[in-house]
Amino acid sequence: MTVSIDSFGISDQGKVRESNEDNFLIVDIRKSVEVKHSSLSADALANRFGSVGGYLFAVADGVGGGPEGERASEGAITALLGYATETVGCFHTYSAVKEHELFEKLEQTVRGVHEKLIAENEGKRGQAPATTLTMILLVWPRAYLVHVGDSRAYVRRNGKVQQLTRDQTFGEYMVNIGAWTEEQASRAKPAATLSSAIGGTELTPVVGLVDLEPGDSVMLCTDGLTKHVDDSRVASVLGNDASAETMARQLLSDALDGGGTDNIAVVVVRSQPE
Amino acid sequence: MIQKKICMVGVHGTGKTCLVQQFVHSIFSVKYLSTVGVKIDRKEVRAGDTDVTLMLWDLEGRDGTRDISASYLRGAHGVILVADGTRVDTVDQLVDLRRIVDDAVGPVPSIVALNKIDLTDEWKLSQAEEAAAGGKDVHRVRTSAKTGEGVESAFQWLAEATLVAKAEES
Repeated sequence: MTVSIDSFGISDQGKVRESNEDNFLIVDIRKSVEVKHSSLSADALANRFGSVGGYLFAVADGVGGGPEGERASEGAITALLGYATETVGCFHTYSAVKEHELFEKLEQTVRGVHEKLIAENEGKRGQAPATTLTMILLVWPRAYLVHVGDSRAYVRRNGKVQQLTRDQTFGEYMVNIGAWTEEQASRAKPAATLSSAIGGTELTPVVGLVDLEPGDSVMLCTDGLTKHVDDSRVASVLGNDASAETMARQLLSDALDGGGTDNIAVVVVRSQPE
Repeated sequence: MIQKKICMVGVHGTGKTCLVQQFVHSIFSVKYLSTVGVKIDRKEVRAGDTDVTLMLWDLEGRDGTRDISASYLRGAHGVILVADGTRVDTVDQLVDLRRIVDDAVGPVPSIVALNKIDLTDEWKLSQAEEAAAGGKDVHRVRTSAKTGEGVESAFQWLAEATLVAKAEES
């Protein structure tokens, strides 16, 4: 079954912050083979060639305040763009067994940005710039996920929304090991501190994948959205029979109406049977 | 370095993710979060004279509405079938899960992990039931993702078994 992919991204400064350190990216990676003229019959050529490619979706939330944070998230996003350029055409060769190479390259891209940020800011005073990164490389139906920090990815399937990522924060870690309750984590100030970030003191990228089904929707967002929009509202919006743009704008509007206390970036991806 | 894809397979809530977390990061998470799709970790081990990178594919659990996806199993060199010794139904499904694995990837080395042995008061399996878990000709190990008991040895056994299988192939 073929599917069409409808996607849209949007970012907003919010109502409190003086600048926008969030960024997003949507890339259509395409390499096509088109038979111009041949002595072979149409039947012989049918389904032999066609476009092969994928999509890259990402959000990044810069940390560090002002231009430094902006540069950090921009750096992560532009590195991904470089990755996408390099991998155009490689999808022909990615067998199930070679998927691990794909993951390694994605991880290397993330680590490359991390090391560059560290080197650029060595010896400087103040908070070092860092960034979260949540990205999906979609080669239908497989969605490869790489995640660092507390931005999030969700999938909506059969009316149910599930979070694909786990926040890499100090609070989440303390809850996981049983040292804090959820309630304690919600009150503790250091709970929001990132336990893993590109450019931070720790970097532990999480990788995974999920096979999507026609009709599934995916959303990537920074914490500026999830601070004000809960999972049930996300499920409701992603369940609307609307375009990705309408959904993304609705979610952004909800976050702003909820206070808009942080920068917001959101990417919505809809798959539809053709 | 040799890479081996190892899949964690079982009913939801049997502790597949916790076993991987214990093996790779030496931590135990008390908060249950169901896996969506596959989470991938890796760890290097020494098997005999060979360094092996285990690519650990932690598959979302079977939950009554969704079965184990054959596409996730494709290319696997070994499988850990995980059951929860406090839930007999998770043990009963091991034979069927083995069949799904066999259909998807053929006869690859596999091991049954009877997990949660730290929950001694809630343990439901007799010795005979443990010995029969998963059917004939399968290696079994009792594990606790919480205490770490049996975890290292389960992964180590499987790493070595995948090398033996490869040597027999060639």
